[in-house]
Order: sequence, then C-alpha cells, then structure tokens
Amino acid sequence: MTADRDQDGVQPCADETAPAISLSRINKYFPGPNGERLEVLRDIDLAVPDHAIVGLLGASGAGKSTLLNIIAGIVRPDSGRVCICGAPSEELNDWCAASYMFQDERLLPWRTAQKNVEFALEADSTPKAERARRAREALRLVGLDQFEEAYPYQLSGGMRSRVALARSLVTEPKILLMDEPFSRLDAQTRGLMHRELLRIHGLKRMTVVFVTHDVEEAVLLADEVAVMSPRPGTIREVVKIDPPRPRDPIEPQVAAYIRRLRALI
Amino acid sequence: MAEMIEQKALGAPPRRTFRIGFLAERLLLVAALGFLWWLLSLSAAPYVLPGPARVWSALGVIAGHGDLWQNLGITFWRVGLGFVFAALLGLPLGIVLGANRRLGEFFEPVLPVLNTVSSAIWAIFAIIWFGISNATTIFVVFMTAMPLIITNVWQGTRAVNADFIELARVLRMPDWKIMTKIYLPTILPYFFSGARLAFGFGWRVSLVAETIGSSSGVGYRLRQAADLVRTDQVFAWTLTLVLLMAAIEMGVLSPLERHLFRWKKEAEA
Repeated sequence: MTADRDQDGVQPCADETAPAISLSRINKYFPGPNGERLEVLRDIDLAVPDHAIVGLLGASGAGKSTLLNIIAGIVRPDSGRVCICGAPSEELNDWCAASYMFQDERLLPWRTAQKNVEFALEADSTPKAERARRAREALRLVGLDQFEEAYPYQLSGGMRSRVALARSLVTEPKILLMDEPFSRLDAQTRGLMHRELLRIHGLKRMTVVFVTHDVEEAVLLADEVAVMSPRPGTIREVVKIDPPRPRDPIEPQVAAYIRRLRALI
Repeated sequence: MAEMIEQKALGAPPRRTFRIGFLAERLLLVAALGFLWWLLSLSAAPYVLPGPARVWSALGVIAGHGDLWQNLGITFWRVGLGFVFAALLGLPLGIVLGANRRLGEFFEPVLPVLNTVSSAIWAIFAIIWFGISNATTIFVVFMTAMPLIITNVWQGTRAVNADFIELARVLRMPDWKIMTKIYLPTILPYFFSGARLAFGFGWRVSLVAETIGSSSGVGYRLRQAADLVRTDQVFAWTLTLVLLMAAIEMGVLSPLERHLFRWKKEAEA
C-alpha cells in the first residue's frame, strides 16, 4: 500500500496502514481580549495509531480541548493538516467515522435513555426500526438494558454517563473522541467507567483519543500519552505506557509512569 | 455493577395520584361553600341572592329548552376559533422573534403595549369593524390570546440550551432537524403554559365581547338575564361556566400536561 492512497482517500479507514489520526503542523489562534492574536496551538504533530488509546494530558489552558475539537472537525485550524485514516479531514463526508463525547453527559431531558441514544442516528435517514434496534444494542453494551424507558432525571450520574457513552458508540465509530468525559463523576464511579471503557475497547477496538488533566487517569487508560505544555500549546513529549491493562496505580511500574508524567506537566 | 444497586425507584414515578382523601377534601370544600351560600340566601331577597334550590331549578329551565347547550356551544366555538388563530400565528411569530435578534429587538416594545390594551377596548373596536357578529367575539379572544402566546414562546426560545445545539451540530444534524428536535421540545412547555393562560383569558373576555357585541352566546344570555332581573338565571349560567372550566382543566389540560411533561422532575413540573 502506497502513500498516494490518501489522494483519492475520501472513504475513511480504507487505508489500513495509515494512522487513525495524523496531525501535521497544526497552528491555531484565538482573538484575545484586546484584539491581539492569542497563540493557542503551535506546530502540533501527532500520529494516533489505529485501535490505540491516546491521552492528551496537560494543565488547563494547554489547548487540549481545542486540539480535540480540531480533530473532531468542530474547530478549524489556522494552518496545518488533519488526516483521518489517511484522508484529509476537509474531504470527509462520512463523519460517522468519529464520535464525540462531551465533558458533561448532555442528555436531552425530554427523551428516554433509548431515545437519547437514538438521537445520534437521527442526523441522517436511518430507518426508525433500525435506530431502535441499534440503540437497544448500544445500551446493552454499556449494561443499561433495563433502563431504556428511563428519563435522565431518573438515572444516577454513572448511569447518565453510560447513556452518553452508548450514544457515542451507537454510530459504530472507528474513532472515539472524549473531552474529559468522566471528570464530573465521583472517584468510585469514575473507576467503574474506566473499566467499562476498557472492556468496550477490547470488544470494539475503536481508536480512542481522550483529553484529561488527571495524570493517573492518563496512565491507567492510555497506550500513549501526549503531554502538552501551555501558552502556546505544544506537545512536549509522547510517552508510551507499556504495562498491560488493567493497571493498578500501586504497581511500581505504573507508579513510576505516574511520577514521570507528573514531572513533565 | 455496584452503582446499579443505588438505582432510583423507577417503577412508580412520584406523581400526585388520585387519593381518596383528596377527593373527600374537595367534596367537603364544595359542601361548605354551598352551605354558606344557602345560609346567606336566607336573609336576602331572591333577586339579590337566590338560594341553591332556586338556581338549580333555573338551571333546569335553561337546560330544558336546549338553550344552555346551544349557547355554550356557540361561545365555546368562538373562543376555540379565536384561540386556534392566536396559537397558529403566535407560535411561529414567537419562534421567529426569539430566533432573530434584530427582529426581536425591533418588535420588543409592541408586546407590552398590546398586553396593556384592555379587552373592552378591543371589543369596542370589534363592534365598529365587524358589527354584531361572530367575528367580534373571535377577534377579541384572538387579540387577547395572541400576545400571551407570543410572549411565552419568545421566552421559550431564550431557554434553548446552546450545549444541545452544539451536540446536534457535532452529530452533523441539519438546521431543520435542530429546529424540530431541540427548539420545539424546549419551547413546548412555555407554549403550553402560554396557551393555557390564553385560553382562560379568552373565555373571560369572550363574555365581555358577547355582552356588548353579540345576539347569542353565554355572554349575551347573561346580560339578558341581568336585564330581566333573573338573578337565579345569572347564577345558573355562571355556575355552568365554572363547572365547564373546571372540567376542561381537570379532564383535559392537567392530564395532557402530565403526559407531555412526564420527563420533568416533580419539583419542576
């Protein structure tokens, strides 16, 4: 397979050898309070391998979320290139390849769990029966198969988080982008959701990019952690995390990674 | 899964159920008011304050002629028509004014002005424009109900959550779907409370309109009965109206609201 595949590569993930996501020389500016240009991201290069879990780790203001939004196609970079599975992102029309999970659950309060999951399939013309079937499957995948008819207010924080996860999985995405998705949960529920995510990743093998400011979360989940430095946001180092999952922060090897990353950010 | 254990009670949503005690309380209230009425009527002339028995027989007379249902029907039809026009125009206008900032700012002063114009003034204008006809009452109901509906829908558009719109955009949802799937469900509770208010106001002003600008309907009959000093009939008409409004509220509006907004927490609903 040759590199010129990405010339005609409008179909995402047609090229198995291309990284799931590749970023080259991404720059982004935001208008500042006095009309000046604030440099948010400088010369970001990053390759996310297929099926990998990659964490974007950094203090607040490091531009992690902006970078994630650029990958998602919500924010346009001022210069640089985003390729999804070898195809330049501006040529993509099948955005179902990537799915986005917000910091909050963002469930529509007037919809049941089932209907909230179906929402992700309502942008195009997926038939009603298929929507319902796939949403039920996604809810079963996250362990909520008895709660299809529950409204968000009737669910606990962890369960709402599961519904949001089901909504991002129902499109069968090749790439899952997560913006500090479990940061609002309590520590115990958060641990549960980490295990859930890893279990589902083992089943579905989607590529995951998640943003976090929590070193431990990054080390427990990721194959690779891209450490970002703030103002302007740059990637300081990409650290490979070798120990097999599930990882325990008390294991000396894992603890060493946590210490090393703490020193880096 | 540990967190499943702390699942909230799903089976029975904590709605106000129809309790026997509740029914008994209401019956007691009606009985007490009836008793008070009867007591007061003993010491007043029947043309000032007729007693329950007298009003009951007056009700029988009106209902016997078919007069009751005919006039109720006419009034109901006029109120309904004015209300439907107001809703059909008020809903899209409220959405447009709420969605478009410039238009909204331009027309903002109009609504308070419309709301301060008394229904009696609309009724006088209506008689000048439409004479003694159905259109007079319909117009007055329409002019009273429409600003209420617009104001509420407008408020509803402001309550639309920008995060939900972002969610829909990330999912690449077209604008018209954002309208039907995010805007409309958000606006619906506001529209509903506006419509409910407008319907109640519509009933009240329709009577005003009918007393001066109509030759049929409950309002007309009320004035006629008053002119003839048939106070018992005035009471009978009033009583029917009150019962009808209560029936609509408890039989239609409340259940509809409970069904439409079952996704709300009890405290919010």
